[in-house]
Amino acid sequence: MTGAQRLAMSCWMGLIFVGLAAPATVAQSIPAHPRDLVFEDLTFEPPERAAHRHELSNGGVVYIVPDRFLPLVTVSVLVRTGAYLEPADKAGLAALTGSQMRAGGAGELAPAAFDEEAAFLAAELSSNIGDTSGSASVNSLTKDLDASLDLLFDMLRRPRFDQDRLDLAKSQVLQQMERRNDSTQSIEVREWRRLLRGVDHFSTIPSTRASIESITRDDLVAFHREFYHPGNFIFAVSGDVEPGDFLSRLEARMADWPVRAAVATPVPKPDHDLQPGLYAVDKDDVNQGRVVIGHLATMRDNPDRYALMVMNDILGGGGFSARLLTRIRSDEGLAYSAYSSFGFGTYYPGAFRVSFQSRSETVARAAAIVLEEIERIRSEPVTEAELGTSKASFIETFSRNFSSSASTARLFANDEYTGRDASYLVTYRDRIRSVSSDDVLRVAREYLHPDRLVVLVVGDRTTIEAGDPDNPDVTLEELAGGGITGIPLPDPFTMQYPTAP
Amino acid sequence: MRKIACFLFGILLGAGAPAGAQQVDVIEHELDNGLTLLLVPRPGDPNVAAGWVAKVGSVYERPGITGVAHLFEHMMFKGTQTIGTRDIEQDLQIIEQLDALRAEIQDAEVELDRRYQLGEIDDPDDPAERSPRHQELLAEFEALLARQSDLLIPEDFSRIYTAEGASGMNAGTSYDFTIYFVNVPANKLELWFWMESDRLANPVFREFYAERSVVHEERRLRTDSTPIGKFQEQFEAMFWQSSPYGWPVIGWPSDLEGITRDEALGFFDTYYAPNNLALALVGDFDHDEAIALTERYFGRLERSARPPLQPRTREMPQLAEKRMVAYADTNPQVVIRYHSVRDGHVDEPALVVLGQLLSGRTGRLYRSLVEEQEVATSASGGQAGFQFEGMFELRGTARQGRTPEEVEQAIYAELETLKSEPVAERELQKVKNQNAADTFRGLRSNFGLMMQLLIREGNRGWEHINTDPALYEAVTADDVMRVANTYFTPETRAVAVYYRDESTETEDDPLLAGLSDEERQQIRQVRAMLGQMPAEQLDQFLAQAEQMVGQVPSENRDMAEALVALVRQRIEEMGGGR
Repeated sequence: MTGAQRLAMSCWMGLIFVGLAAPATVAQSIPAHPRDLVFEDLTFEPPERAAHRHELSNGGVVYIVPDRFLPLVTVSVLVRTGAYLEPADKAGLAALTGSQMRAGGAGELAPAAFDEEAAFLAAELSSNIGDTSGSASVNSLTKDLDASLDLLFDMLRRPRFDQDRLDLAKSQVLQQMERRNDSTQSIEVREWRRLLRGVDHFSTIPSTRASIESITRDDLVAFHREFYHPGNFIFAVSGDVEPGDFLSRLEARMADWPVRAAVATPVPKPDHDLQPGLYAVDKDDVNQGRVVIGHLATMRDNPDRYALMVMNDILGGGGFSARLLTRIRSDEGLAYSAYSSFGFGTYYPGAFRVSFQSRSETVARAAAIVLEEIERIRSEPVTEAELGTSKASFIETFSRNFSSSASTARLFANDEYTGRDASYLVTYRDRIRSVSSDDVLRVAREYLHPDRLVVLVVGDRTTIEAGDPDNPDVTLEELAGGGITGIPLPDPFTMQYPTAP
Repeated sequence: MRKIACFLFGILLGAGAPAGAQQVDVIEHELDNGLTLLLVPRPGDPNVAAGWVAKVGSVYERPGITGVAHLFEHMMFKGTQTIGTRDIEQDLQIIEQLDALRAEIQDAEVELDRRYQLGEIDDPDDPAERSPRHQELLAEFEALLARQSDLLIPEDFSRIYTAEGASGMNAGTSYDFTIYFVNVPANKLELWFWMESDRLANPVFREFYAERSVVHEERRLRTDSTPIGKFQEQFEAMFWQSSPYGWPVIGWPSDLEGITRDEALGFFDTYYAPNNLALALVGDFDHDEAIALTERYFGRLERSARPPLQPRTREMPQLAEKRMVAYADTNPQVVIRYHSVRDGHVDEPALVVLGQLLSGRTGRLYRSLVEEQEVATSASGGQAGFQFEGMFELRGTARQGRTPEEVEQAIYAELETLKSEPVAERELQKVKNQNAADTFRGLRSNFGLMMQLLIREGNRGWEHINTDPALYEAVTADDVMRVANTYFTPETRAVAVYYRDESTETEDDPLLAGLSDEERQQIRQVRAMLGQMPAEQLDQFLAQAEQMVGQVPSENRDMAEALVALVRQRIEEMGGGR
C-alpha cells in the first residue's frame, strides 16, 4: 500500500469512525445549542378509512374508531339536511329545527325533565343544522351508553318541539338580528358573500323578522319529519366501544325505523357574474377600515390544490413568516394583521381573499401593498427557504387531523358525507413534498387574477377616501380606477337595502 | 400570553378539587437529585404534552416580595447563558452594572417616598423632585439598557420552540405552585429537555427591571382598571386574616416596584432546586428514552442544601361575620364565603359534592333562585381547597328590580335546607355521575392529563388522581348534611355586596349572556388582553382554550365556551386562523 493510499484509507476510516461515533457522542452529551440537536424524521401513518367503515343491515354507514383509554363514548350522527333545503320565505327554519330538537324535550319527557335526565346521565347531548348538513351527538360514560343512546334516538326521532322553548328561542334570534349592522365584521361577511355569490343564492338569503315570525311549531315538525330518518344518517362513533357490540345496539334502535331514500337535492351552485371593482360600506363610527380583496377560487378536488396551498401560505396564509404580514405589519406598521386564504369549495368554488384591518387613513396604502404582493408572487419564483418552511409546516401538522379518536371518526364521516375519496389522506404529504417553486409560480399565474379583483371596504368612507397625508400619491380613488360603488346598510329586520345614494 | 395562563388556572382551580380517572397508569421515576418524573406514554397522535411544576406559589412569599413567584415565572422566559443573547460575557457585565445602578436609584426612590409619606412633596414620581444625582443615575441606567438591547435576541426562547413546530408554550402561577408547559412533536422531545433544563441550569434573569414594569402593567390591566378587580382584591385581604392567601398572586404595587434581582435569585435557589420540581410527559414517546434524557439533561441540576422553606403562618379562626359593601361598574350581586378545609381534608369530598348539588343549570340554586323565585339571573357555589387553607364560596347576581340582599337571603335559605333535610339519592347520584364523567373528559387530551398530574403533584401528590374518585363516590346524604352544619355558620363567613355604581353604563353583549358577573368580568379582562396579542399567539391560545372546554367541570363550561368564542371572534377580526 502506498503512502497516498494509506492516507486515503485512514481518512476514509476516519469518516466511518466519525459517522459511527457521532450519534453516540450526541446521545451522551448535551449539545452547546439546540440548533445542534439532530432529530429523526417524524413517522406517522394515518389511520385507514376503510378499516373503520361498517354497514348496518338497513344500509346505513357507521364509522367506529375505538379508543379504550377512558370509559367514554361519543356517538355523532351526520344528517343529510341543511339550510339550503328550507323555503326562502322561512329562512332560519333549519337552524331553529336543529336547536329545538335538543331544547324542546323528546319522547316521553317535557323539556325540563329531558334536561334533568341528560344531566343525571352526565350526557353531553347536542343537535344543530347548518348550511349543508345537520348533526346530533351524545358523549357519555360507557356504563350509561344505552340510556344515553335512548336519549339521542328520542331526540332524533321523537322531538317534542315544546312551544314555550320555541317562543323563547325565536325571541333570542330577533334580539341578535337587531345587532346585524353593529360590527364591521358581520357587515363584511354578509356583503362579501353577496358580491361573490349574488343575492339569490341560499347562502346569501337572510332570515328576517317576517321569516322568523312566520315559523311555527308545525314547520319544525314538518322539516324534521322530512329529513330525520335512517336513510339520511352517517354515524361517527369513537371512544370506549367494541365495534360488533356497538353495531348491534344501533341495529336494535333502528330496526323499526323505516328507511327512506337519502336527500338527493344537490346543493345549489351560485349563478352570478362577479363584477370586479371597488365597493364601500360607509360606517362612520369606527376608526379602523376593514378590507377584503379577492375573487372566486376553486373546488376541493382540483389537482393543483397542493401547489395552491403552498402559494397561499407564502403569500399571506402563514402568519408572521408570510409576505403580506411581514410587509404590512412588520415593515410598514400599517395593520395589526393581514391574511390571505385560498378556498377549496365542496359544492361550489371557494374564494381567494386577502383581508386586513387598518387605520382609516392608511387603508389605501395597505391595499396598494396587497396588490403589489399579488403581482409579485405571479411574476417571480418564491425562494427555496420560503418553500421549505411552508411545506414543512403542512407536513408536520398533518397528524393533528387524527389527534383524537373523535376527530378521526368525524373526519371519515364528513368525507363520506361529501363524497371525498379517502386516497387524499394517503398521498397528502407526498403531494405537498413534490410542490416546486415552478409549480407555485405557475398556479399563482393561473389562479390569481389582478384584473378580476373585487375590493370591499367597510369603514369611515370620508377618512378612508381622503387617504394618508404622508403618502398622498396612493388613494382609494386611484386604486379603484372605475370609481367606487357604495353599498348602503340594510334594515336589520327586513334586510331591505335603501336605494344607493 | 403568560398572562392568560394565570387566568385559565383560575378556572381549573376555582372548580374545587376534581376527581380523577379510575386508574391512570403513571410511570414514576426519581433522580438522585430529588427530581420527580411522571410519564404516561400514549401512542397515537405523534406529539408530546410536556410540562413541569415548581412547588412554589405566592403563599411561599413574605411581605416585601409579594408577586415574586409570578414575576419569576416571567423571568424564566428571558433566556439563558446560551439563549437570548449575542454575547453572554458583555451581557453579564452589563447586568451587573445595571444592578449596582439600580440599587442606588432605589435608595433615591425610598428617600422620595419617605418625603411623600410625610407630606413634604405631592408626587414621588415627579422628575422635578429628583436630585441631580438621581437624574444622572437614571440617565446612566438608560444608556446601559440601550447598549444591552443590541446584544439581546428578543423572544429567542419562544422562537426556537415555534420554529421546531412546538406549540402552546406557556406558564402559570397560582397560590401554591407554578407550571410551565408546551406541546412538542414526538421526534423533538429532546428539544424540550434541552430548553427546559437549560433555563433551570443556566438562567440569566436579564431585562429584570423592564419585566417588573411589564408585570406592574399586567396588574393595572387585570386588577386596577377592571370594574371589580380591585374590590375582589380587597375582599380577599378581608377574608384572610393572617394567611398568605390574603395577598394577590400578582403582588402588591409597592413590592412590584421594589423587588430586587437579588431577591428573585434567592427565591430561585430555594424553590427551583430539582428536589422541589416534578416533570410530566404525556403522549407518544418511549419511557426508557425519556428516563435516559431526564438523567442526562436534568441530572446536572444540584439538590438544594436544605429542603425548601414551607409557609408557616396559618389562618386565625374567624370569630365574627365580615361584610363589605361596594359600588362598582357591575350588576348588583353578592359573594358569600365560609372558611372551610384545605385540599385533601376528609371533609373535602362532601363539600365538593355539596357545591355541585347547588350549581349548574339543573342545580338547586339555578332551579330555585333563577327559575322559581326569579330573584337572580345566575347563582352557583363551590368548595376551593388550597394547599394549606380552604374556603366555600357562593355567589349570585340579582335580577333587575331585585336586590343583592334578597339573593343573599335566598342562598341562606338553600343552605338551611341542606342542613335540615337529607339530599335525595337520585340528586346525589346525578352529581356523582357528572363528576365522574367530567373528570374523565378532562383526561381525554394529553395536555389535559399532563396538567392534572402537575396540578395534583403541586398540591398533595399526583397519585390522588387514582384514589380521590372513590372518596367522592362514597359521599352520603348524611355527609352532606353534616358538613353543611359544620361549616356554614354565620360567624365564619364574609360577605361582599355589590351595587351598581350609577355613574357607569351597562354592557349588553350577547357573548356574555348567561354568565355570572365574575365570569363576565374575566371575559372582559381576556378581551382586553386579546386586543394586544399577535395573531400567531392567538392561534396557540385558541388551541389551548379549546382543549380547556373539554376539561372544565360542567358549571364552568358556558364560561369556557364563551372564551373560545371570544378568541375565534378575535382571530376572525384579525383575518382568520390558519
